[in-house]
Amino acid sequence: MLWLAHARKLATLPPALRHARCYSARVKDDSRWPGWDVVVGIEVHAQIKSRKKLFSDAITYSGLANVSVSPFDAAFPGTLPRLNPKCVELGVRTAVALNANVQRRSAFDRKHYFYADLPAGYQITQHYAPFATGGQLQLEINDTCVRIKQIQLEQDTGKSTFDPRNQESSIDLNRAGVGLMEIVSEPDMRSPEEAGQYVRALQALLRAVGSSDGNMEQGSLRCDVNVSVNRRGEPLGTRCEIKNLNSVKFIMVAITSEVRRQIALLENGGSVLQETRGFNEDKAETYSSRSKEDAPDYRYMPDPNLPPLLIGETYVSQIRETMPELPDATRARLLGLGLSRRDADVLMDVDSGREVKDDGVLAPGPVAYFDEVSRGRDPKVVVNWITHELLGQLAFREKAFSNNPIDAKQMGELIDLVQSGKITGTAGKTLLRHMLDNCSAEMPAELASELSLIADDGAALRKWCTQAIKALTQEADVVRGGNVNVVNKILGHVMKASKGRADAKAARAMLLKLLKGEERDRPKGEKPGDS
Amino acid sequence: MLPRFVPATVPCRLAGTTKCFHSKVPGLLSFRDANASVNALVHIAPPERVDGRLDLRVAVKDNICTSGMPTTCSSAMLLGFTSPFDATVVELLQAEGAQLIGKTNCDEFGMGSLNTYSFHNPVINPFQAAGSTVQWTDRERRSAGGSSGGSAASVAAGLKESALATDTGGSIRLPASYCGVVGLKPSYGLVSRWGVVSYADSLDCVGVMARSVDTVKKLFDVISSYDPKDPTAAHPRARKKAVKASHASWLRAPGESLKGLRIGIPQEYFPSELDASTLKPLRRVLEYLKSRDATLIPVSLPTTPYALSAYYVISSAEASSNMARYDGVQYGYFSPTPPDLDKTKAANVYAHSRSSGFGNEVQKRILLGTYALSADAFDNYFLQAQRVRNLVRADFDRVFAVPNVLSPTRRKNKAAEEGIHVLLHPSAIRTAPPLESRDDAQESDESVLDAYVQDVLNVPASLAGLPAMSVPAGLGEDGWPVGVSIVGQWGSDELVMEVGRECERADLAVD
Repeated sequence: MLWLAHARKLATLPPALRHARCYSARVKDDSRWPGWDVVVGIEVHAQIKSRKKLFSDAITYSGLANVSVSPFDAAFPGTLPRLNPKCVELGVRTAVALNANVQRRSAFDRKHYFYADLPAGYQITQHYAPFATGGQLQLEINDTCVRIKQIQLEQDTGKSTFDPRNQESSIDLNRAGVGLMEIVSEPDMRSPEEAGQYVRALQALLRAVGSSDGNMEQGSLRCDVNVSVNRRGEPLGTRCEIKNLNSVKFIMVAITSEVRRQIALLENGGSVLQETRGFNEDKAETYSSRSKEDAPDYRYMPDPNLPPLLIGETYVSQIRETMPELPDATRARLLGLGLSRRDADVLMDVDSGREVKDDGVLAPGPVAYFDEVSRGRDPKVVVNWITHELLGQLAFREKAFSNNPIDAKQMGELIDLVQSGKITGTAGKTLLRHMLDNCSAEMPAELASELSLIADDGAALRKWCTQAIKALTQEADVVRGGNVNVVNKILGHVMKASKGRADAKAARAMLLKLLKGEERDRPKGEKPGDS
Repeated sequence: MLPRFVPATVPCRLAGTTKCFHSKVPGLLSFRDANASVNALVHIAPPERVDGRLDLRVAVKDNICTSGMPTTCSSAMLLGFTSPFDATVVELLQAEGAQLIGKTNCDEFGMGSLNTYSFHNPVINPFQAAGSTVQWTDRERRSAGGSSGGSAASVAAGLKESALATDTGGSIRLPASYCGVVGLKPSYGLVSRWGVVSYADSLDCVGVMARSVDTVKKLFDVISSYDPKDPTAAHPRARKKAVKASHASWLRAPGESLKGLRIGIPQEYFPSELDASTLKPLRRVLEYLKSRDATLIPVSLPTTPYALSAYYVISSAEASSNMARYDGVQYGYFSPTPPDLDKTKAANVYAHSRSSGFGNEVQKRILLGTYALSADAFDNYFLQAQRVRNLVRADFDRVFAVPNVLSPTRRKNKAAEEGIHVLLHPSAIRTAPPLESRDDAQESDESVLDAYVQDVLNVPASLAGLPAMSVPAGLGEDGWPVGVSIVGQWGSDELVMEVGRECERADLAVD
C-alpha cells in the first residue's frame, strides 16, 4: 500500500523532480561488502513481438533454421529496408509505458562490424537519435526508481552456433532482422537484487503492453550489465560490461561475482580495467573478453536508405489511449475493488504468463476474465471463485489458464447460482469440476438440474431430515438427551441422501428444530451455528 | 542464334539521332563480333519474342538485378551470381513488353569514370572519327566513359536502342557524352532502386541511355513510378507537386518557340581543366537555343569547387558500408583460406576473400570511406561533406525559378522572376580519353586524378538529387563526340528532356 501511494505521488510530479527523486542516493550498507557502493546499469535487448521483421516481410519465426529469411535479411545485393510500422507502434507502447519522451524525429544509423551472423556487415540501429529518451521504471524493493536513458529500435543479428567437435560454425538467419528494442537504463541500481528486480519489472511491463514476450530462456530478452564499485563517499569506479546474460538468476550471480572481483582487485591495490566481460555459468564467474583498447570502431553512419522516423503527438496519444493497462494500474484498480493484495497478486502473476501474440495482441488472461465475470457481481466473491476454485482446479489438472474451458458467462452464472442459494457452495464446486472435466459448453443452470444439484425448496430438506431421524433413532435420542454434537452424524446422513443438494447449515438447523421441537418446553438449548 | 540483331549497322534515319559513325560498323559484322570489339555486353540473353506496347530492346547495366541473367557488377566478388529477384525497373519494362537483350559492362560496382575498372575488361568506345581510314575493328582505342560505359557503347554501336544504367556521380552522363548518345539521370527518388546494387544509396539513380531523347522519355515514363519497396522513393504527391511547380514556372505551348525560357550558364562549370576545343559545339547549341527565343543568363554556383571532395567522401563512405556485405559467406566469391590462417577471427577469413575479390579502385574507395567514417575522422570528413552537400543544394535552389518542393524550408523563391528554368553546361571536360594499353597495369597518379576530375561537372547535380541529361552536341576538334548537360530543379525531368530535345535539334540543325 505504501508503495502504491508512492507511485501515485510520483506520477503527479514534474519530470525533473521525478528524476531527482529517482536519483537520490541510497546509502545503505550491504553486509556482503561493507563500506562499498555498487553501481549497476543495464542494457536490455528485447525482441519486438511483431509478426514480421523490422525491415523486411519475412515472418518472425524461430523454428527450423534458415526458413524465414528474405533476400534483405541475407543482405542480398539490390535489397532495401522498409520499416515495419507495427514495430514502431510496439516501441511507442513501450516508451509510453516507461514514461519516456517519444521523439518527434529520430533516425536510423548503421553500426559496422564483421561477423558471420551479420550478413550486411552492419546492423541498423538508432545510435545518434533514438526514438525515445528519459523514462523511468519503479521497483518494488527499496523504494527504488530506475531511470531509462533511451530506447532505440534496431535489428537483431542471426544466430551462430559453434560446434567444437567439428570446429564448425552454423548460422541461422531466421533471427536476422527481427526487431529489437534496446532499453538503456541509467546506472541507478545499487545491488544484484535491484538489478534482478528491474529486469523482472521490465519483463512484466513489456508483456503487459504486448511489445515483447520477454522470454529470457528463448533469448527474446537479453541483458548486458554494467557494474562498477567505489568506496563509500568516493567517486564512481571504472565499469565493466558483462555481456549476454540470459536469466535473472545469472544476472544476479554475475553481478555478485563481478562486484567481489572488483573489490578484491581494489583492496589489493590494483585497479579495475574498463573492459567487456563474459559470464561462465558453470563457474559462476565473469571472464575478460575484450579490453577497451580492442574496442572496435563501429563507424556509425546515418543510414542513407531510411528517411527520418517522424512520430507525431496525435499518434502517440492515440497509442496511449488504446494501450493495454499497465501492471501498476491493474494492481491499483484491483485493490481499489476491495481485493486483497494476495488475490490481486495471484491474478496478476497468472496474468503475466498469458500469451503475447504477434503485433502486440494479448491473449486474454485471468485479469480480463475477472473483469468480465465481476461485472455486476461482488468482486470479492468473484475473485474467490477464480483464484481459489478455478485457478486451483486448473493447476490441479496441470492446465494453463489459456486452456480454461469455462467462459466468463458460464462462470458468472455459476457464481449467481450459488449466491442466490439455488445451489449450495459444495454443489457449485462440484459443478465447476464437472465443467472442467467435460469441457461442457452447457450453461451451469441446466447442468445443475441435469446433475440434480439444485438445492431443495425446504420440503425436501424436511423430508430428508425426517427420514434421517427415523433411520438413526438411537442418535436422535442422544441428541434429544442433550448431546447436540451427535446431530452431526444425522447431518451426514442427510447430506448423503441429498447428494450434496442440502445446505449443511440449513439441514443442521432443521434437524435441531425437529428434534428439539418435540420438547419445546425444555429450557436447555445450544447456541446455534457452533458446528 | 541472334538473327534479329544482325547486321549491326544502324541507319541514321532514326529521328533525332546524332551524326552517326555507325556506317563505319561494317554491315557484315555480326552482333557478337561487334560486341566483341566494343566489349559492351557481358552477358547476352537468348532471343525471345515478346509482344508489348514497348517495341524496344533494352540492355541492362550489370549492377541491376535480373533473375534470368547473372548480375556481377563487373566484380570478381559476384562472378556467376544470379539474383533471386528482378529489379523493379526490370519488372516495369518487361511488363510493358520490352525485351532484355543482355547485361552491360560497367566499372566495378559503378565506381569509375572510364569503365576500365571492370573484371570483364574495359569497354572500347565504338566511335570512329570521320577521317579514319583503318577498319572499324582496328579503330582508335578510346574510353567509353564510366561507369555505365557498356550501356552507352552498346547504344552507340547500335547493339540495341536503349539501355538502363545507373548514375551516382555522372556515370550516365559522362559515357553518354563520350559515346555520343543521350543519357538521363532522373531526379533522385523518381525511379525505384529496388534491385539496383547499391554503391552510394543517397546518390544512386537509375536512368536511361538511348540514341534519342524521345526514346529516353519513352523508357523513363515506364520506369518512373512510385515503388513502396524503395524507402527513398518520392511520394506521388511530391511528384505531382513538382510537375505542377515546373509547369507553373514555364510551359511551352505545342509548336511554340522557347520564348520565356531562361537558361542559366554556370560560370563555375568551365574549370581550367576544361578542354577549350570542346567549347565550339557548346557555343553552337547556345546560339541555336537563342535563335529559338530562349534567354541565356550567366549564373554562379559558388559551392561547385567543393562539390567533388564532398562527393568522394560521401560516396566512398556509403560504398565502404555497402561493400561490407561481400564477404563470401551468404553468396558470391569465397577465397579458400590458407591452412595457417588464424580462423578464430572472422575478419581474417573475410579479408582473404575481400582482398582477392575486389579490384583496386573498389578497395581504394572502401579504405577512403572507412577512414571517413572512423570515430576520429567522422566530423571533419563525413559531416563536413554533408554540410557542403547542403550548400550545393542551396546553390541550386537559389538560381532556379522553379521552387524545390522537397525543401523543408521552402521560402518564396526570390529569384522567381529573374530565376532560371534549367542550367546548361558541358558534360565533360574533354572528349573520350584514350585507353591506356592493356599491358599498362600500373596507372599513373595523374591519370587517376584526371578520372576524378572528369566528374567535377556532374557531381553537383548528383549531390542535390537533380535531373540531369547529357545530349550530343556535335564533335570536338579531334572529331570525337561532345555532350552538353541540362540540369533542372528536382522533379523538372520533363522540362529537362524538353530542352534536351531542342539541343538535339541544334546538333542536327548545324549539320
